[in-house]
Amino acid sequence: MISLAHFQVLAYILFCLGIYGVLARKSTVLVLMSIELMLNAVNINLIGYSAFGSFGGSHTALGQVIIVFVITIAAAELALAIAIILRLYRERRSVNVDEIDLLKG
Amino acid sequence: MPGSLILFYVAAAFVLSGGIGVVVSKNIVYCAFSLLVSMIGIAGVFLLAFAEFLALVQILIYGGAVVIVILFALMLTRIEDFRDISDNRNRPLALVISLGLLAMLIASLVRTPTPQGDQSAVSMVELGESLFTDWAIPFEVASLVLLVALVGAIVIVRRDAGDEEQGDPS
Amino acid sequence: MSIDIFAGSNAAWLIPALSVLAFPITLFLGRFLPGKGSFIPIVAIAAGFILFWFVLSDFLSGGSVPLHVDIEWINIGFWEITWGFLVDRISVVMLGLITFVALLVQVYSLQYMKGDSRYGWYFSLHALFAGSMLLVVLADNLLFLYFAWELVGLGSYLLIGFWFDRRSAAEAAKKAFITTRIGDVGLLIGIIILFKATGTFHISSIIHVAQNGGISDSTIMWSSLLIFLGAMGKSGQFPLHVWLPDAMEGPTPVSALIHAATMVAAGVYLVARMMPLFALVPEMQLIVVITGLFTFIFAGFIALVMTDMKRILAYSTISHLGLMMLSIGTGAVGAALFHLVVHGISKALLFLGAGNVMHSTNDETDCWRLGGLKSKMPITAGIFLIGSLSLAGIAPLSGFFSKDEILNSVYQEMGLGFLIVTLAGGFISALYIARLFLITFTGTSRTDAAKNAHESPVLMLFPVVMLTIVAIFLGMVAIPMGEFKGFTSFVEQESKFHIIPWLLVVSLSITILGVVVGWLYYGKSRLSHKSMALRLGFMYKGALKGFWIDAIYQFVIDRIVLESGRLIATFDRIVINDTGIDGSAKSVLLSALKVRLIQTGKIYNYGTAMAFGVFLAVIVWWVF
Repeated sequence: MISLAHFQVLAYILFCLGIYGVLARKSTVLVLMSIELMLNAVNINLIGYSAFGSFGGSHTALGQVIIVFVITIAAAELALAIAIILRLYRERRSVNVDEIDLLKG
Repeated sequence: MPGSLILFYVAAAFVLSGGIGVVVSKNIVYCAFSLLVSMIGIAGVFLLAFAEFLALVQILIYGGAVVIVILFALMLTRIEDFRDISDNRNRPLALVISLGLLAMLIASLVRTPTPQGDQSAVSMVELGESLFTDWAIPFEVASLVLLVALVGAIVIVRRDAGDEEQGDPS
Repeated sequence: MSIDIFAGSNAAWLIPALSVLAFPITLFLGRFLPGKGSFIPIVAIAAGFILFWFVLSDFLSGGSVPLHVDIEWINIGFWEITWGFLVDRISVVMLGLITFVALLVQVYSLQYMKGDSRYGWYFSLHALFAGSMLLVVLADNLLFLYFAWELVGLGSYLLIGFWFDRRSAAEAAKKAFITTRIGDVGLLIGIIILFKATGTFHISSIIHVAQNGGISDSTIMWSSLLIFLGAMGKSGQFPLHVWLPDAMEGPTPVSALIHAATMVAAGVYLVARMMPLFALVPEMQLIVVITGLFTFIFAGFIALVMTDMKRILAYSTISHLGLMMLSIGTGAVGAALFHLVVHGISKALLFLGAGNVMHSTNDETDCWRLGGLKSKMPITAGIFLIGSLSLAGIAPLSGFFSKDEILNSVYQEMGLGFLIVTLAGGFISALYIARLFLITFTGTSRTDAAKNAHESPVLMLFPVVMLTIVAIFLGMVAIPMGEFKGFTSFVEQESKFHIIPWLLVVSLSITILGVVVGWLYYGKSRLSHKSMALRLGFMYKGALKGFWIDAIYQFVIDRIVLESGRLIATFDRIVINDTGIDGSAKSVLLSALKVRLIQTGKIYNYGTAMAFGVFLAVIVWWVF
């Protein structure tokens, strides 16, 4: 039988893959993809709780509603991030995180 | 082993292999397609949790829109520049951190008693009702956020009148 | 308390108020008025002089209770500060002296200062100076007195430096201000000590508490010593006398005012006012006596050798202030005040006379470059003679009476030794004033300036003549007549007038001896003052240089004050600035240069740190 733990473990592994991607990859586009992975890991976690958690009463649809919002915001964030990457590429001919160090002290 | 569990492992295999592909592949286009695989796997996971609507949305938005947008971005930023991408110097540390975090999360899962209820399903009708009654205002706000993000994205990418022509006039 | 302001002493507060009020009016509106508003201060001080007579008659007719008006100024919980006026017998005497001399000096200035570019400013300063001095003598509490006291200092500074475009005048003004400031700091500390001991600024309350044993002896000793220091500064007592000769840089009428009525009188007044406090400590009285006596002799010696007319008069003033202090020290407050008045009148007379001389000889002040003026300006010569004789103490001029009272007191309180020294001082006093008169007015005119001298205009003669008349007849008030028990008794409210016949004769003959010796040296040239100067070589040179007091001060300032200042400045620069401030700034800068390397600007570094932070936070949460 599928249980909540299955969803959770899957979500955690995916989340840590995302973290690894964010920290280790060079290209900003890949960093962005890794962030999408992390968001989806959160979504898996949420749907797990939504399906197996007992919140009682009228809030049975709560988990799914939140996932809808997460997807919405993720889409918005993606649009902006892609715009920034394009701009960055146009300004500096590069999208490597190594070369973006304006904050260097 | 029940059929649903086999289906779950299949979906999870899709999800994880896609995820690993995203974070290890040297070719950025492969990465993008790996992401697509992962997203479809997640749609399967949603189906297994009886969230048909979300599975639909996942395929439409992630499998369709997001991956396409990323591919467009790659195209606009000269894909040949990143044909052979490597990881940065931070890789070992990133590995340690992410594994450590995974261990921590698993440990927290073990330590914390999880609710063990029966699997319940929420029908698409219920979800729609909930979304347009209880969550009507956040829903509208979310649409506004999307609008603002789109306008913002356009403003960011637009070439200003005074901008020097230096990039590829894609 | 309702005040009928036109009834006698109740009007006393109007006297300073008018002059103080005249200051801004003359300053701001004077330029639009005829004569640049010079008549405003004169009218104000004249009104003050008239009011003085009402106040005096009130006291004479038995309204003897000192009037006390108190206006609350600051009230902080359990203690309060008030503006109060106290009119008692000492104040009345001072009021008369100040208003009279200030009035005549201002009238005199009308002519003397004619054509000066800052005519209006001059007269407004006079109003301020006289007004603040009147406040000093009417103040009933020490804080208010100190306030007015500093205003007097300010007035003197501005008037001495009136011709501030002359460097020497500016320097002299600064010197006067700083020297008196040294005393003033002492005065302020003394006032604070007294306030701390008694919780009040009121002079009468302080004295009352002190007399009832409410203050410890050492506190009284210290506070009165410090207050005396303030008086020493203002009244030019040794060793704070150095500013007074230099103050001659101001216009001559100002010198007359400073020496007679305002500035220097303030110190004597203060000591007279605080005498009940001083009297509680016998050592303090001795200090006052010795300071006074030493100053009396010391300044007299210097006056003997000076050649500048005004400087002779200045040292003479210092000398006579010493005599007043001596008198107060022996407890003869009345005699001291009497001498203050008499000397003030005589000295104002002499200064205005000197002003007349200078006015007609292109500001020549060196008396060896004058001479033979008595035929050129007979009236001035006559009144100068009377002023000189009064100062020397020849009967029956007023100076004789006041000096006699002081000698009486010295003999009775301090004994024969002190009396002999005082008499010697009297001899010197007679000698130098005779010298001044004889060199300046007799003999032959030694320069063109002296040859072309002419008599002064009426407006300048009138005040001098008025002063002369007073100088001749003022001595009479020392003698009891009917209800009036004599001046000193009026002040001290107990009958003290008495005569020691042999002392009278001795003092008079010593004075006459002094005048005669002076005449032999400088009038007839029977004796050569030059050979005398050679014989006394060292003393002569010392006196000529003011016994090197200025040089010593200069040395102290240059070598000790400035050197230690330089040392402290070096310490400040090296230890405080370079090590303390720059050093810490540099260490911050250096560590910043190291620490900034943490900021790589690489997003994944920040991300790693963040994830690690989350990791740590969860571990910490679990463990604790």
